[in-house]
Amino acid sequence: MIRPIIILIIVLAIGAAFYGYNTYNKPHTNVGESEAAETLLASEIFVAFDTNEQAAMAIYSDKVIQVEGELLSKDLSNDKEPQILLKGNGDEGFVRCGFKPTELSKVLALTDSSTVKIKGICMGCNGSEELDLLGSKDVVLSNCIIIN
Amino acid sequence: MNKIIILFAAIVTLGFMAFTNHSGGVYKTNTGNINFFSHTAVEDITADNHKVKTAFDAETGKLQFSVLIKDFEFPKALMQEHFNENYMESTTYPKSTFTGTIDKMSAVNLAKDGTYKSPITGKLTMKDVTKDVSTMATFVVKGGIVNAKATFTVNPTDYHIVIPKTVAAKISNEIKVSVDADYTHAH
Repeated sequence: MIRPIIILIIVLAIGAAFYGYNTYNKPHTNVGESEAAETLLASEIFVAFDTNEQAAMAIYSDKVIQVEGELLSKDLSNDKEPQILLKGNGDEGFVRCGFKPTELSKVLALTDSSTVKIKGICMGCNGSEELDLLGSKDVVLSNCIIIN
Repeated sequence: MNKIIILFAAIVTLGFMAFTNHSGGVYKTNTGNINFFSHTAVEDITADNHKVKTAFDAETGKLQFSVLIKDFEFPKALMQEHFNENYMESTTYPKSTFTGTIDKMSAVNLAKDGTYKSPITGKLTMKDVTKDVSTMATFVVKGGIVNAKATFTVNPTDYHIVIPKTVAAKISNEIKVSVDADYTHAH
């Protein structure tokens, strides 16, 4: 009678350890393999954050979002994370998309003023009207991949 | 006639200098780096953000930062999840900001390549809690780019960040924050 109980306890302990190990080491979201929760224009997501940041955070943050917009420029000033800017509201607000360095060659191949589709994880909107030196606000997507 | 020519040349020269000497005005970047590091005997925890917005006014020394909390990337997804959901409540408090001054702005010669130091003082806001912060920053001016580096420590409890007792041994009371930003003149 004792033997089956000991075996059961061992099996449960191994299962718990396996679960704990997998939870502790679970991978980051793989954007390429994830379905976009929302698909919208760069101008639409910028306006959503500019109009009501808290509401937009509740809808979009932490989710894989697909955006389409006009490429304003590439920002390669930080080699740890190549970035591009999509026009969000003319020259006043942007969608800033950050890529892993492994995506650099694809970022370099993009042409300014072209329309691009990007998928990435929405992190929120950086900048503030109160911080006058910082200029425009950016809706930020990270771990992006280029769709076209 | 010669006086008019000399005056005209002087005006043109001064005008040219005004547009080429970037020692004044605003310097900024949208791709600054902030790293934080927690060391305990049990575990080291580190995270990086590479999309820090920051700018300074070269005349007044006014300095500003804005950083998205969710954009800190941890080596482990679970750490990142706990940081955002349990400790920083980053959906409710998405940004951390710093407003302050480069106290010895005049000691930083932006028109001449070199290494300069200045104290920084200001107010750091996280989770709607604002505290005074001061540190020493090093500015390296080279080829029109101004690299600034600074480190300081924050105590999580100062910003109402509640660490459960079950994980308290894994998270330091003194989180080291390192800032590294390359500023360029904002035209």
